[in-house]
Amino acid sequence: MWLKYIASTKKEALLLLRDKAGLAMLFIMPMALVFIMSLLQDSTLKKLEEQNTPVIVINQDTGSFGKSIVEGLETAGFFIVSQQINGKTPSEEDLRQLVNEGKYRVGIIIRPGATEALRQKIKYRIKQQFPEEERKLLDLGAISDTTLPHVDVYFDPVTKSNFKHAVISALRQFSAGVVAEMVFDTYADLLNELVDIQLKQAGGFDEMIDFTQQYATPEKKNLIIPNSTQHNVPAWTIFAMFFIVIPLAGNIIHERESGLSMRLKTIPGSNLAVIMGKTTVYFIVGILQAGFMLLIGMYILPLFGMPMLRIGSGLFAFMIITVSVSLAASGYGILIGTIATTQEQSSIFGSISVVILAAIGGIWVPTFMMSGLMITVSRLSPLNWGLNGYYDIFLRSAGISDILHYVLLLLSFFLGCIFLSYLYNRYKKMKS
Amino acid sequence: MEENVIIEINGLTKWYKNAAKPAVDHLNLAIRKGEIFGLLGPNGAGKTTTISILSTQISDSEGKVTVNGLDLKKDADQIKKIIGIVPQDIALYPTLTAKENLDFFGHMYGLHGKALDDKIRQCMQDFGLEDRMDKKIKTFSGGMKRRVNLIAGILHNPRILILDEPTVGIDVQSKIVILEYLKNMNKNNGITIIYTSHLMEEAEQFCSQIAIIDEGRLIEKGNPAKLIEKYESCNNLEDIFLLLTGKRLRD
Repeated sequence: MWLKYIASTKKEALLLLRDKAGLAMLFIMPMALVFIMSLLQDSTLKKLEEQNTPVIVINQDTGSFGKSIVEGLETAGFFIVSQQINGKTPSEEDLRQLVNEGKYRVGIIIRPGATEALRQKIKYRIKQQFPEEERKLLDLGAISDTTLPHVDVYFDPVTKSNFKHAVISALRQFSAGVVAEMVFDTYADLLNELVDIQLKQAGGFDEMIDFTQQYATPEKKNLIIPNSTQHNVPAWTIFAMFFIVIPLAGNIIHERESGLSMRLKTIPGSNLAVIMGKTTVYFIVGILQAGFMLLIGMYILPLFGMPMLRIGSGLFAFMIITVSVSLAASGYGILIGTIATTQEQSSIFGSISVVILAAIGGIWVPTFMMSGLMITVSRLSPLNWGLNGYYDIFLRSAGISDILHYVLLLLSFFLGCIFLSYLYNRYKKMKS
Repeated sequence: MEENVIIEINGLTKWYKNAAKPAVDHLNLAIRKGEIFGLLGPNGAGKTTTISILSTQISDSEGKVTVNGLDLKKDADQIKKIIGIVPQDIALYPTLTAKENLDFFGHMYGLHGKALDDKIRQCMQDFGLEDRMDKKIKTFSGGMKRRVNLIAGILHNPRILILDEPTVGIDVQSKIVILEYLKNMNKNNGITIIYTSHLMEEAEQFCSQIAIIDEGRLIEKGNPAKLIEKYESCNNLEDIFLLLTGKRLRD
């Protein structure tokens, strides 16, 4: 049995090593795919995360309100603020057009006199708090109920409502500090007038609560911040690993078509050694693919401005999930090779089925962008099990026990494919 | 069982799925040890089906077959050890060298080490291929491929060798080398050879016994020379073949 297994493994390895086109498909094409798709999806994911959103601002207000809004946008860390186009302040029409064309995702116009209007509004409201007879004692000038200070906000037509809500909330937050300061100044003036107490200038009303942001990861020291590399590298690695279905299934069909399979069946003993030899070689190919992809994520993508892939503390878990994905892919290849009757059938069905499993499994479009139904469907794809396992390792510092259910699913898939292949072969032998 | 019979076929019938008639229809044959037995017939006669059943590649629908006293259905693994198969197709890996191919098939039969190396070297030499040992099969001529295809089937010294049209599509020189080698194997080692062919002249010279089958049924059996004597109007085996099977095209 061992002699047969070793001979079969050696034979498969030699066949693969001499198939230059097959090797290119197994290694160069997936590496190119990881590289290109990571670069493409990086920008997409950045858009999705609404990071560095370009904003154009026309600040017609000369007071502190307009200044605070602009400063707030500039210091928020996720807006790129422009106030001029080609060295000139754009017109309102220009602003609307630029946003409509998608060159800026948000356009903001702060109307003239907004600061003064706000101040008047605050004074009016405070005056309304005092009894009628006391108001005459206060020197609040001739205050009337003015219109609210006005800020126009334009959005790119493709903008989602939650993003619009987030931007409006941010603007309210930036203006809240100015409002608080104006309220404080008004009361300070009143105190000075009524009891002759001079209050000092105050500020920082927009930072009265400490919101601590953190990820719900158990190991703080190994906290991995999710980024596009951590989605794309494992996603396309799994995709590439499952693409071994095509050469593996093709190899099985070639043996059948050329009479090799018949010759092997006339040799005493089980055919298991032959199947194990194939599985071993393509399993090792899958492991090598994962290794190469990992190196690309760690050393090549950062050269192109992409975030570096970091495994964190889950190296062993990474190896276990990689082994499981590779076995699952090999099992699927053997099943396709057993059921398909021609090379054409196996290559077309193999590639299309992998693309479908990848699509529903969150490889092309991450599952967090899918609808509820599709998220449920995605859980049926073995590529999704592998991807979730990698996500858990990269993003949640998962250990073996955390990814065990994915490992078991993938190994069950592998064994299921082998069992189905065995049943199908028996069925065919009975029918022949 | 008749004395010295190594293969006995009784009432062998094979139906393929959805077929209108059986591929092999109640076939009875007895092949004795050390015979070179030719299984002849037009296309679709049931030759390949019969040897596929004998070599355990497919199962029969009906009948009983014993090989060296072993039941084909019950003792398939034991039977596989004593038979060698040379399929009609070149069942070799084209991108592997001749040595790598033969190493692989030898290992699959449980052979290894010096014994296997010596056997491969000897066979390659006998077939005039010693200088092609490390060349890939895809670079071989049709005749060379046929010879390596044959070597792969005899590495484990089988007692029964089943050949499906081993000389089809090759040059005369290769054909002579193959047939001479097989005759020597039969003479020196007592190996029983079962062989199918469309080439009547070749079968007449090569076989000690022949069976002509048509539409799955046995229609004649015997020594070629004796059959020619029997059919007075026929000058050779081809005449007998045409007399018995007709000139109607078969596919």
